Amino acid sequence: MGIKIIKPGIFTTIQDLGRIGYRAVGIGPGGAMDTFAATVANYLVENDKNCPVIEMHFPAAEMVFESTALVSITGGDFGASLNEAHISPWKPFFVQEHDRLTFKNQTSGARIYLAIHGGIKADEWLKSCSTHSKLKAGGYKGRALLKADRIELNKSMSRFSINNFPNLKSIIHPVYEKPNLIRCIAGPEWNLMQKSSQSIFSGSTFSITTHSDRMGFRLKGTNLAIQTAEQLISSPVNYGCIQLLPNGQLIVLMADHQTTGGYPRIASVISADLPKLSQSAIHSNIQFEMIAQGSAEDALFSLHQTLRSIKNNCNLFYAVHRHQL
Amino acid sequence: MSVNISPLGDCAALVNFGNTIDPDINQRVLSLHEALAQSSFNCFIESVPAYASLAVFYDTQKIAKHTNSSPYAFVKNHLLAMLAQDNIANEAIKSIINIPVCYDAEFGIDLHYMAEYHRLTINEIISLHTAIVYRVYMIGFMPGFAYMGSVDDRLATPRKNQPRLNVPAGSVGIAGSQTGIYPIDSPGGWQIIGKTPLQLFDTNRKIPSLLAAGDQVQFVSIDKNEFQQINGH
Repeated sequence: MGIKIIKPGIFTTIQDLGRIGYRAVGIGPGGAMDTFAATVANYLVENDKNCPVIEMHFPAAEMVFESTALVSITGGDFGASLNEAHISPWKPFFVQEHDRLTFKNQTSGARIYLAIHGGIKADEWLKSCSTHSKLKAGGYKGRALLKADRIELNKSMSRFSINNFPNLKSIIHPVYEKPNLIRCIAGPEWNLMQKSSQSIFSGSTFSITTHSDRMGFRLKGTNLAIQTAEQLISSPVNYGCIQLLPNGQLIVLMADHQTTGGYPRIASVISADLPKLSQSAIHSNIQFEMIAQGSAEDALFSLHQTLRSIKNNCNLFYAVHRHQL
Repeated sequence: MSVNISPLGDCAALVNFGNTIDPDINQRVLSLHEALAQSSFNCFIESVPAYASLAVFYDTQKIAKHTNSSPYAFVKNHLLAMLAQDNIANEAIKSIINIPVCYDAEFGIDLHYMAEYHRLTINEIISLHTAIVYRVYMIGFMPGFAYMGSVDDRLATPRKNQPRLNVPAGSVGIAGSQTGIYPIDSPGGWQIIGKTPLQLFDTNRKIPSLLAAGDQVQFVSIDKNEFQQINGH
């Protein structure tokens, strides 16, 4: 039981929801960039939310399955096809021995997640299976997948009908609505930024440059300025933290960010909009909207509510079909 | 001492004690870090100490069950109450961790530059660097990278204008008044004066990082033979 990688794609890695508890020794959480999509991928195949999944970018991997498996793909839409038949994202499907999964074209999003019922075998390091490529630990041998790699599955299973699986698109849709509008709250150094720069920040457009990866998205836009020349001493940073670089440009820290940094943290992308931001492709334009802390918290509660609702829908479906699982 | 608490996103609070590198301020950071680690309140996930600030990560969802107000406001009040208790424990006397360093020009690729810059001999650089017991202020930048200080004023040197693309693991460097050791091969702009044969970071160890914030470190000069011997084990 396994998956054979025929073509590796660009930086295909095994991720879960991250490595928690080691920031104090400089190890960031890493994990899936779009934790919402990774979680839903797992729920769709009745897995625990933290089960390791395969994160892919475009061009994505091409793979062949060695046994029957229940699979889901979430995140962007990369034109998945199974033996040339189109596969819709955000719903589970069955694969059989010798089935070949390919991805034809990137029609939306920047990354996708593939989950398999029962989970895949992955290396655990510090309580997480997320790939830490710099330290070569966790995931699949601590690295991105290569041609001819083989991923083992935990469980074998037989096929049953999932034709009447509920359509969850209307529940999922709001999470990625208004893809270019990213909501933020003020960061610790927001007030160090010049007033004119504050209004530029929330009133103009920034584009995601090619120097963007799992560590951070470098943006291009109008130069912003700090009021003081005082150098900051290193202080903690986190996922979504927007730093103002000395050249006046911005970087948004993403999943593989460092644990500390020395640039002014002018704002933070709210947690509820990180899935949306992580699905923004290179060259896309984004706008920031400043909101209150309480609104950011409410948005996060509503995201969790959405996840609960998806989980309930999936569990209900599988409860009816449990004798077959 | 003025303490300022601000949001670091919607799942973390930043406790800021100032913008200076000072052992007493850093000790307050570490005391709060320690108190949080021992706190029975189960809504805190982890905290991250830096020179003069501490990031406290919390479970926004869980905290919402404890309060009718905003989780951040709840966390801020909780932290202010912890700080007000002022039962900040005295710093436990930590034993000094000796770190052997070979200050050979083969490893200390910036020794000659440093000697010229400060008008010192290489032996003077070595004795100044090994004379002080350094404090590990924080771990950051990369896994296991310890920011230590402060070096003797006569050794304080700005970072290189052009960072190197690769500094080998174990390299000991100076940046401003800080000294540090690269735990893994990495790009970097610190002035490199030597190399330790010790493995600062090992993913196979239960505690991967040799050093933690608050540790006391002293460098011990070794020659190339000793370096090879320790390296071989």
